[in-house]
Amino acid sequence: MIHRILLSLAITLTLSTQIWATPKNSNPLSDPRVRQAIAYAIDMDTIQETLLEGKAIVADSHIPNGPFKKPGLPKYSYDPNKARQLLKEANWNASTELDMVFYYGDQLTVDLMTAVQAYLADVGVKMNFRKLEGDVGAQLWTAPKDPQNGPSVVTWDLAYGAHGPLALQEYFSRYKTGDMSISPADSKLDGMIDVLTSTADITDQKKIFFEIEDHMQNQLFTLPLYYQQAFIYEGNKLNRNGGIYGNPQYNYDWDITKWTIEPDASGKMVLNTNTGPVEFFEHPWFNPGLFITNKVLFDRLITCDGGLAPTRPKMAKYFNLSKDAKTLTFELKSGLQWHDGTPITADEIKWNIELALKVPNIMPIFKTTFSSLEGAEAFVNGSASSVSGITTSGNKITLSFAQVDPNVLLTFTQWAPLPRKHLGNVDPAKFQQHPFWQNPVGSGPYKVKEVKMNDYLIMVPNENYHEGAARIDEIVAYPSKDNDANLVKNALAGKLDYGFTKNVADVKALEEMNHMRVIPADIPYTRMIWFNKYAKN
Amino acid sequence: MFIYFIRRLLYLVPMLLGISFLIYLGLELTPGDVISYLLPPEAIADLKPEELMAMREALGLNDPFLLRYLRWLGGILQGDFGYSLASGVPISKLVLDRIPATLELSVAALVFSTIFGVILGSISALKRGSLLDNSLTVFGMIGVSIPEFIFGLVALVIFALNLEWLPVGKRLMPGYDSYWDHMPHLVMPAMVLGLIMTAGVMRYTRSSMLDSLNKEFIRTARSKGVPEWRVNFVHGLRVALIPVVVLIGFRLPMLIGGTVIIEQVFQWPGVGDLFVNAVRGQNYPLVMMISFLSVTAVLFASFLIDLLTALLDPRVKLE
Repeated sequence: MIHRILLSLAITLTLSTQIWATPKNSNPLSDPRVRQAIAYAIDMDTIQETLLEGKAIVADSHIPNGPFKKPGLPKYSYDPNKARQLLKEANWNASTELDMVFYYGDQLTVDLMTAVQAYLADVGVKMNFRKLEGDVGAQLWTAPKDPQNGPSVVTWDLAYGAHGPLALQEYFSRYKTGDMSISPADSKLDGMIDVLTSTADITDQKKIFFEIEDHMQNQLFTLPLYYQQAFIYEGNKLNRNGGIYGNPQYNYDWDITKWTIEPDASGKMVLNTNTGPVEFFEHPWFNPGLFITNKVLFDRLITCDGGLAPTRPKMAKYFNLSKDAKTLTFELKSGLQWHDGTPITADEIKWNIELALKVPNIMPIFKTTFSSLEGAEAFVNGSASSVSGITTSGNKITLSFAQVDPNVLLTFTQWAPLPRKHLGNVDPAKFQQHPFWQNPVGSGPYKVKEVKMNDYLIMVPNENYHEGAARIDEIVAYPSKDNDANLVKNALAGKLDYGFTKNVADVKALEEMNHMRVIPADIPYTRMIWFNKYAKN
Repeated sequence: MFIYFIRRLLYLVPMLLGISFLIYLGLELTPGDVISYLLPPEAIADLKPEELMAMREALGLNDPFLLRYLRWLGGILQGDFGYSLASGVPISKLVLDRIPATLELSVAALVFSTIFGVILGSISALKRGSLLDNSLTVFGMIGVSIPEFIFGLVALVIFALNLEWLPVGKRLMPGYDSYWDHMPHLVMPAMVLGLIMTAGVMRYTRSSMLDSLNKEFIRTARSKGVPEWRVNFVHGLRVALIPVVVLIGFRLPMLIGGTVIIEQVFQWPGVGDLFVNAVRGQNYPLVMMISFLSVTAVLFASFLIDLLTALLDPRVKLE
């Protein structure tokens, strides 16, 4: 009897394995064995030690290490023999030449592509790579009209890129059928994504995260390569006075008002940094924490810890999320002011959310939260003059959601309200082009004192800040993008007291400077290879 | 002379029209647009097609190519240079904000290289075959062959980071009240650019001077007993300067946007840097404006060369 059961189990397992271990269409990449062979062929440990100089973590899932990652996921460690065997089983045609695309312009990417090309050649897979130019988004992600059978609209076979979402759900929500260019409909995955994006319960979330990770990693839906880290650098003159470290790409409770720095000859505490404006201040609804300006000029309703878990109210006196996660209530602290002295009101927060619903280029997680509000759709399509799910009374704001958004609190740790007085006439489609972004008025611990576009920006403490005035007298931000080409020479010259980078070469140089310290921070930022699994014409 | 000047000015009109159309067409044929520059690919992937369409519509990017070109041209004819697609700032303000920095840098380098290039080239020719001539020749070859960013980085390491004599870069800093405060920032980029340009002028002057010193009229002057310094510098150098003037003249357009690499090495906020970012970002109103200035500078330089040639060479008449 036991033998029969075991036999039947073995047959079932074999059959189920065969079902997923076969190509779904004429594209060899639709065969999991080919994808797994590619994974086995690449020696990520060596790449991590050499090309990445040890400044990255080899990945075995989209999700970075932490409580939401399932232990024991398949790792596909370097095994060229296994790769060759899998390719043989999949009847790999040695004359096939894979087309790999990427969108980064740095040398490291080219070096990595060259290494991957060599590893693949070693197991008999030809691959060429090229950088995408122009409308990269359309070339990468345009989905076929028929999500089941394709054919593929995009031309590439493999795409190298990264995903660094604010909320972990975003790692997977983008793979839902119909939204992506890379994979034929997967009803099982769709179902799991639906559950994931509709529960606010942490235990349920964790369970479904584990199931998705298992599903994706077993069939190697995509190939996660490595988790990138962010590196915070500070001059030794800077003292955070107990302020915590965390994900520097976003906002968290870092207590910048308590920071101090060795005073200069005139006794003034001046902090030099980068990411100052080049031509305009980038608005904080798209990259809420990438630039120093968005971190310190604008305040948020609630705040979070270094790992971005919501912790306490900030502009709000309190906040309360109902048990069904469908009603969120805030009460603003009394006496809140914009930098120009105008009071911040609950009605203004309502106006801000309504504006955000119409601004196209805002962070996806913000868009999801605001679109989940009752009446949001009617407001956006013009059939209602306001969002029915937002009500205000005095300093109190109540948000009623039509559907649960698991990241609603996270949104309000990052999303910054803006002054209606200055943006009341803005065209949402030209939000970034409004003159406000030449000299913005915010509500954060620092305010703009002087801006000489593309030369420097001076920010001074907001004396009316609700958590007390900051101690550093001036923050001077010199212009740069987030990847500052002049980082090393300015740091060498003592002109950089704070910043962060993901550039490995810069990190190595900074580590050799005696007057600087470098603090690595784990961030959700996964570099990966996407497989285009659709049949091609 | 006046008629010549007017005729040259009139030539400018069709040339500028043709060039502007070609540049506009070039930008049109380049893949992507300002939206794909402003937003990372992941963000564009998350936008709905209608949202992308709305952003492009708001910036006037959905209209046909010819309509956009004519609209831009109409604006120019009315003195409206348009707005930056990235920031919404008037183009004229963006360019005018950067022009002082570029002019400071390129004029300083041009003056420096012209004076030193002509002097050293003349000395080199007069001392032909000497140790000094050979040393200057080696210097000239180094200057011509080594890329300017290497010179720049070496100068930064020595003078800014090791000796700490000069600032590491940038132009304006907090607390600068007078115009002269930022002059220490100008020294290194101007010297590096000037030295590289000096090498070219020096080589040109030397060979031109050698050529002119072998001419019949020099022998005639000597046979008439004209003092040697006068033979060399009044008769010889004057003729030798004609090709040098052409070289320097064609460097004038560099005044607008020709110092990109030095600007990037020294974080100098000039027009070159603005132009590079505008091209990358397909910010066509800005690209067109800077290209226009650059083309005008080329045409003006060509006109100026004609004038100077006529002044230096009595055989040339402007008609």
